[in-house]
Amino acid sequence: MRKARLWGLLWMLFVPEIQAATKLFEEKCTLAEGQTLTVSCPTNTNMYSNSQKAWQRLKDNGEVQTLAITEGSSQVQKGKYFLEDIPSEGMLQVRMTNLQVEDSGLYRCVILGPSDPIILFYPVRLVVTKNSLGTPDSDEYPCQISVQNPTLPPVTTKLRPRPRPRPVTQLVPTSADRLSSPGLTVTPTNVTHITSIHVNSRAQAPGISIIIPAACGLLSKTLVFIGLFAVTQRSFAS
Amino acid sequence: MSRRCALLAWALLALLGLGAAQDCGPIVSRREWRALASKCSRRLRQPVRYVVVSHTAGSVCDTPASCLRQAQNVQHYHVRTLGWCDVGYNFLIGEDGLVYEGRGWNTIGAHSGPTWNPIAIGISFMGNYMDRAPPARALRAAQNLLACGAARGYLTPNYEVKGHRDVQQTLSPGDQLYDIIQQWPHYRSV
Repeated sequence: MRKARLWGLLWMLFVPEIQAATKLFEEKCTLAEGQTLTVSCPTNTNMYSNSQKAWQRLKDNGEVQTLAITEGSSQVQKGKYFLEDIPSEGMLQVRMTNLQVEDSGLYRCVILGPSDPIILFYPVRLVVTKNSLGTPDSDEYPCQISVQNPTLPPVTTKLRPRPRPRPVTQLVPTSADRLSSPGLTVTPTNVTHITSIHVNSRAQAPGISIIIPAACGLLSKTLVFIGLFAVTQRSFAS
Repeated sequence: MSRRCALLAWALLALLGLGAAQDCGPIVSRREWRALASKCSRRLRQPVRYVVVSHTAGSVCDTPASCLRQAQNVQHYHVRTLGWCDVGYNFLIGEDGLVYEGRGWNTIGAHSGPTWNPIAIGISFMGNYMDRAPPARALRAAQNLLACGAARGYLTPNYEVKGHRDVQQTLSPGDQLYDIIQQWPHYRSV
């Protein structure tokens, strides 16, 4: 009886893995009406300096609509679509100005050739919203990256000065893990995200840079041990 | 008996898990290789999506002592002769198998031109790799650095490695090293 349940659980683990593998990664961009989408698609300085590049829209019915093509010149402006091919830097810059809600959809940069087009970067899933989001303007970054954690307001992306540490997968999930989950580390005011202090300690005075990581390391280890102990006690007591 | 075993197993697992959550190491810090203080201030937007691999095309070094001197030489050239705010690369790799901290994970480097510097981490192998390949320990050090960067959130999980010649008109990182990095799992030619 227990064995059957175990096998059932194992199958449950495999199915989402297979699903994830078949789905192609899409770059998600969320912008407000009137804003400009900027996408940087790496080409290759050597391979495709001579090839035609295009910005295409993939419709829901599978149809591919070519919006702009670099016709041998390095810059192309076609209505709201602007393409700039910089072969010496190996980059294709795409700009879509004055976005409207109808522009929401799936787009891609491609290299046009004799056979199937070569997809550059990733397909871009554009979502244009009615109201203003108050997000930082898109300058040199390929896309306006909306906050990874959907429960937090978009403004925190600007305040985020340090990298988001990922939780180590080998750790057994305990109460201690909640303190270092990515969702909490985005806000700088959260004192309990221990791992990010390790990153910052390089900038502090030499004495502090030893004490803080050591204390935090001890604290986190103690908490994990307590958590594990509680779990094993409970499982053996039942 | 089995209860004690289970507790021991859990304790060991916890120690292993916590042991993994350490610094990206071993990296020779700026202070260790006696770097001049950086005057650069432009920060890289995290997480970084691209890594550009180049070579210095300069002298090679294969001991910690000689690589320390070579890192200083590279910085000296960039700062004193070219007038930059710091050594151009985010990290340098020596044939001693060690990683030398340049501008680091947080500061925009000067390695691949105005289009790529703000969006890429530039790592450079100290030496010229047109006709010879770096030793396995140097390649291991570089790959370990990148894996660690991804694990710590400095790089995106699906970060892409590019050769310097893929993004600039240059022979860097050299034919031999370029052939090698094209086999790396995160390498993407376009």
